[in-house]
Amino acid sequence: MLHDYANIGMLLVIALLFPFLALGASYIIQPRRPGVEKSMPYECGVDTVGTTWVQFRISYFLYALIFVVFDVETIFLYLWAIKFQQLGLAAFIEMFVFMMVLVIGLGYAWNKGGLEWK
Amino acid sequence: MNITLLTSEIAIICLSLLIIILDLLLPRFETRRSLGYLAAAGVAGVFAYTCTQYGVSATVYQGLFTLDSFALFFKQIFLLAILLTLLFSFDYVEGLAKYQGEFYALLLLAVAGMMIMASANDLLTVFIGTELMTVTFYILVGYQFNSSKSSEAGMKYMILGSVSSAVLLYGVSWVYGCTGSIVFEQIAKHANTSLGMLFGFGLIVAGLFFKMALIPFHMWAPEIYEGAPTPITAMLSMGSKVAGLAVLLRMVFIAFVPMQAYWGGIVSIIAAITMIGGTVIAMWQTNIKRMMAYSSITQAGYMIVGLLSADASGIKSVLFYAMLYMFANVGVFATIIAVKKHHGSNEIKDFSGLAQQSPLLAVVMTVSLLSMAGIPPMAGFAGKLYVFSTVIEKGYLWLGLLGFVMSMISVYYYLNVTKVIYMNEPCVQKEFIVSQPLRIAALISLLATLWIGIYPGPLAELANTAARSLSIL
Repeated sequence: MLHDYANIGMLLVIALLFPFLALGASYIIQPRRPGVEKSMPYECGVDTVGTTWVQFRISYFLYALIFVVFDVETIFLYLWAIKFQQLGLAAFIEMFVFMMVLVIGLGYAWNKGGLEWK
Repeated sequence: MNITLLTSEIAIICLSLLIIILDLLLPRFETRRSLGYLAAAGVAGVFAYTCTQYGVSATVYQGLFTLDSFALFFKQIFLLAILLTLLFSFDYVEGLAKYQGEFYALLLLAVAGMMIMASANDLLTVFIGTELMTVTFYILVGYQFNSSKSSEAGMKYMILGSVSSAVLLYGVSWVYGCTGSIVFEQIAKHANTSLGMLFGFGLIVAGLFFKMALIPFHMWAPEIYEGAPTPITAMLSMGSKVAGLAVLLRMVFIAFVPMQAYWGGIVSIIAAITMIGGTVIAMWQTNIKRMMAYSSITQAGYMIVGLLSADASGIKSVLFYAMLYMFANVGVFATIIAVKKHHGSNEIKDFSGLAQQSPLLAVVMTVSLLSMAGIPPMAGFAGKLYVFSTVIEKGYLWLGLLGFVMSMISVYYYLNVTKVIYMNEPCVQKEFIVSQPLRIAALISLLATLWIGIYPGPLAELANTAARSLSIL
């Protein structure tokens, strides 16, 4: 019992040490030749134009919500598809009911203008 | 697997989806009253169907969902509550700026959540039912988009409700950790009084007490009752409260039997604080919805008193009280909506002269308020008699006496409204319009309150059957 906890404890210690070792080693051995281009806080791609503190349209939220709904549906469909042979007809019908409910939701969002960029 | 046990829930959810689809198909500027009638007719149909289900006792989904007379009794309370609420809220919904069709659909979904709570036989189904109900209420409480008060109430309810749900869920995780199961019967087998188990039980009960708005978990109630649209206030005080009660009863008497030694102490103290606090603060209110919020806190205090006597007669008294509380609430809120439509505000002084403007509503309001106070010919008297006589038999004499004293004090603020209705002159001279569906809902509430009060036998018998089906005794 206590032995198992020792394993977990070891793992915890290693997990805590590892990032320090990795970052520390590169900190010690890295060559330092800073330049204008290198010290810029960029992520990737082209340089930013203007201020980066812009406001986003609230419409992004609607898109994100609708997107998440279908994301969840995909995950659910995967599991259903793997076990489809064993589940039989009832699960087939149930999945269609589930998808119908989501389609009604999408239809609602569409009809109310949730997909339009105004 | 007998899926037919879920028929009433499935029917309500299908009805809700149907209303959403029809709302999309109706022309934009068409009135949505037809959808309201459709919802009311559908709910009436489901109610009639549930009447045929009494005597069933079966589970589905490997014991996670159970249907017995106890669950049915609560489902009928919810269905009647929503039916009468729909009847008196048609005019109110017509006054909403937008999303009128969705209002009915969301109300039905909230009721589906309550019905799942009444049938839930494991902690996660309880949680799902609770969330279905409360998430819908978050939206509905903030439904008056042009009123900042309503939006504020919706926001507050969402934050506080989420915290209480988190507390409930944390308690569930502790109970699962200690017993290895979430199904009520399995928890009962493994239940012990270890510290972790008590902690989990305490958190779950705190989460449910929040839903029932018992002191000291009541802070949200007055603000949110005042800000919410009146039909939603009515459903919050009838549905949310009674659904919490249903879960609490089933959970305490099936899953957490060894906890009952601790249970008596906690509940008697909370019930006492709730009865005293609710009554005392209600006296100072000038807004009728705030007054009803405190009144509903007090009423919840009376209801959980019945939980102290852990036997069939105690549960029966709680079920009986929940039913008549629902009828009294319908009467009061129907009148509030009619007066609000006339005056445009919810102050108690707006009720002045109601007796001359609409004698029927004046009588309905008076009878409902007196029923809540527990005056003899009304149903409230029979309910309080059952509740307090069962706890006095169990040795809680002090709590029974406290309940009687608080009922007498509460007569003051209930009769205060009645005094305004009958003694004052109407302040606005214009025609007082009472729509036909609202009149019907008010009449049903009046007749039911008087009938149960004079002849409580049949309902008591039904409540007794329901209590005995909980199979604990």
